[in-house]
Amino acid sequence: MPAPPTLHRHRLENGLQTVLFERHDRPLVAVNLWYHVGSKNETRGRTGLAHLFEHMLFQGSKHVAANEHFRHVQQVGGVANGSTWYDRTNYFETLPAHQLELGLWLESDRMGFLLDALTPEKLETQRSVVMNERRQRVDNRPYGRAVERLHELLYPAEHPYSWPVIGAMDDIAAATLDDVRGFFEIHYRPSNAVLTLVGDFETGDAIESVERWFAELPSAPAPHPLRHGLPPAPEPRHEVMEDDVGLPRVYLAATVPAYGCDEWDAAHLLTSILAGGKASRLHQDLVYRRQIAQEVSTYVFPTEECATFLAVATGREGVDPVDLAAALSKAIDDAGAAPPTEAERHRALRGQLAAFYSELQTYEGLADAIGGTTTYFDQPEWLWSVPERLEAVSPAAMAEVAGAHLAADRRVSVTVVPRGTVS
Amino acid sequence: MSAPIDRSRPPRPGRVHPFDFPQTLDRSVGGLRLLAAPRRDLPLVGVRFVTFAGADHDPLSQPGLAGFTGALLEEGTQRRDATEIARTVEDAGGQLASRAGWNTTTVSYGGLAETLALGCELLAEIAIEPGFDPQETERVRSLRLGELRRRSNEPGYLASRALARALYGERTYGSPLLGTAQSLTAARADDCRRWWTAHRSRSRSTVIAVGDFDEEQLVAILERSFADLGKGSSAAAPPGTVDENPEQTVVHVVDRPNATQTELCIGQLGLPRDDPQRPALVLLNAILGGKFTSRINLNLRERHGFTYGASSHQLDRLGRGPFVVSAAVDTSAAGPATREVLFELRRIHAELVSTDELEESRSYLLGILPYTLQTLRGLAGRLDEIALYDLPLDFFDRFPERLRSVSADDVLGAARRLIQPDRLVIAAAGPADQLEPQLADLGPVTIHRGPPAAPDGHE
Repeated sequence: MPAPPTLHRHRLENGLQTVLFERHDRPLVAVNLWYHVGSKNETRGRTGLAHLFEHMLFQGSKHVAANEHFRHVQQVGGVANGSTWYDRTNYFETLPAHQLELGLWLESDRMGFLLDALTPEKLETQRSVVMNERRQRVDNRPYGRAVERLHELLYPAEHPYSWPVIGAMDDIAAATLDDVRGFFEIHYRPSNAVLTLVGDFETGDAIESVERWFAELPSAPAPHPLRHGLPPAPEPRHEVMEDDVGLPRVYLAATVPAYGCDEWDAAHLLTSILAGGKASRLHQDLVYRRQIAQEVSTYVFPTEECATFLAVATGREGVDPVDLAAALSKAIDDAGAAPPTEAERHRALRGQLAAFYSELQTYEGLADAIGGTTTYFDQPEWLWSVPERLEAVSPAAMAEVAGAHLAADRRVSVTVVPRGTVS
Repeated sequence: MSAPIDRSRPPRPGRVHPFDFPQTLDRSVGGLRLLAAPRRDLPLVGVRFVTFAGADHDPLSQPGLAGFTGALLEEGTQRRDATEIARTVEDAGGQLASRAGWNTTTVSYGGLAETLALGCELLAEIAIEPGFDPQETERVRSLRLGELRRRSNEPGYLASRALARALYGERTYGSPLLGTAQSLTAARADDCRRWWTAHRSRSRSTVIAVGDFDEEQLVAILERSFADLGKGSSAAAPPGTVDENPEQTVVHVVDRPNATQTELCIGQLGLPRDDPQRPALVLLNAILGGKFTSRINLNLRERHGFTYGASSHQLDRLGRGPFVVSAAVDTSAAGPATREVLFELRRIHAELVSTDELEESRSYLLGILPYTLQTLRGLAGRLDEIALYDLPLDFFDRFPERLRSVSADDVLGAARRLIQPDRLVIAAAGPADQLEPQLADLGPVTIHRGPPAAPDGHE
């Protein structure tokens, strides 16, 4: 594998962290901003603000007219987007390399001068867009509400991972201009952001440009980081819900320690052993041999308070979801009872290494990964340690994390069945 | 420090950094075409075996046969069963997939560079000695029936199926890639074997390779592993597709009584991929609905808030693939949103686009090319296009200069050839009782009801 490349770090006086990765293999530059704010900074009853706010950041700022953000980027042949997650919100552009200044102009303008351009009309339109986004992604999608319910069962009501990132429909409808303003003033400060540049530039010149656009933005202390951590184990609850679906599906979840811990790495590698590919345990058992499942998958979320572990199995038509749930449970119990074989560990490791390199193929993928490790660990180079961290996970560590955190009395589940099948 | 910065307008760009389409090798490996583009920034490779037959070669009585065959290919050869193949691939950290599309059947391998030989050998083994084992066939049949069942509740799929059925009827592109419950139940392992044997051959296939490999080493591996691939004869011509839009605009509603939103799919026949005015058509789509700042998205999303996003697409296939505008909209806004789409189609069909719009879209398309070639998958996709549509090897090198010469008149000309505003198909999946009154004055309405409310559900 190639030697880890050098990343350059630069901190502005107003607190903005900058990481630069100079590359010359294609004429592009990725501009990526992570703000350390997400849905976890909301409160119950006022959810969805972080994401609605992300939409407002594309509605123009003092020197950029409404909707001109996308136009400026697209008319030079660039792409732009943003996304909101539990712990962070990111904004990113990939531009032709000679348009780096354009990206810095746009990002500095909305970091420094957003409120000048905020209007009730813009909020009204974006509320409506987001309500349609929620319908499209959640309410009108088969199985769409299951994961929300699962998180409600898994986390105590005051834990911020208990509500969905996109927010509740009523909360989105009730958001006001003052909410949006308040959110900006607390969270959108240079000291709460990481700016990552990856691409075809000279590092010295790029730092000068960053200074030019961002240095004059006023500094303010970063908000206090939240620390909710790993919640107590949930009541082991199991719910059934009806939906417009043709096939039953079982979701099973538990919490594990946060992204960045050794236990998280162990849980992550374990997800590949359970359902990473067709040779994985759940696929072989449920899809191939017993043929009771249509598909199986497992995840562990890369979140910083703690992490949701999720196992999902979609049943074949007519299969009793009770059998499906029992099979999923048994696979997880088995993972806690005995370590996987060396062959299984090796297979999972190879798959995750290939996936890791694959995600770093694009400049935006690289920039986003660097922004993440800098935001969470204050350490950009942490990214290059991922392969070693994965290699260091032992079979015993996987059994330990499954035994300690995924045990039956710590799991919750939601089963979705076709409408009319619950009498 | 320096003088105060001028934030009032976009900064001046720097010096343009040059870009060329990656060097592509085009050679024959014992009569089998190889298109290869090396890229060495990461230790990864991707290799595909592409045969130029897909659902367009489904017998009319057996829709979904190509799709079924494509799915079965990776599920065993005469030497290894499905589990052994999966273990071999995953032990190497690779990914293997086989599937049939509309015009091609592809077996692809991606993984770490050091596993190139393994990948090529697996592709060859699958292409030359597939298993089509009866037990595997039953298992895959059950999975595909399950997939059909799952899709029958996906609103976007239902709307796009209703559109395809209305445009193409029983002809090619009218039946689902997946097939119907009836055709899937009837297909036999021998049907799949016969289909594959008739189509996969040295003369009608291409190998595409991208990533970190040595050219001579790759050729040597391919020569060895594909030595036994038959030369093949010319296969029967496909049944053919349609080339006329419906005589008047028609409305198809797929009833989903509980839906909280409506999926709209509005379209007609597109123009073929090798159309001589391709650059003007690509610009037309970018202005109309191909990017965030296109007319349709700005109208439906940013002006009206009807939707999270609306876009238009030319779905390229051999012959005339569909040209589609799609959006998931608030059900109460389905009528107004459809009218806005029709308004935009008529407007671009009637008036010259503005210079600003033309230049904005042109520079978008010129600038975006290197971005789309960053991943091995993106690069391989372009080579797929060169192979399937028989494009010249310098097609993507020359495309920028062709784009530069397109005028607003050319875009209008392209719009007039492409769009027939009174001969559209309007498909909507949502609650029929609310949709019918909103759409009834746009054309005759056909309502498809369930359960499941699938246009393919009762055939």
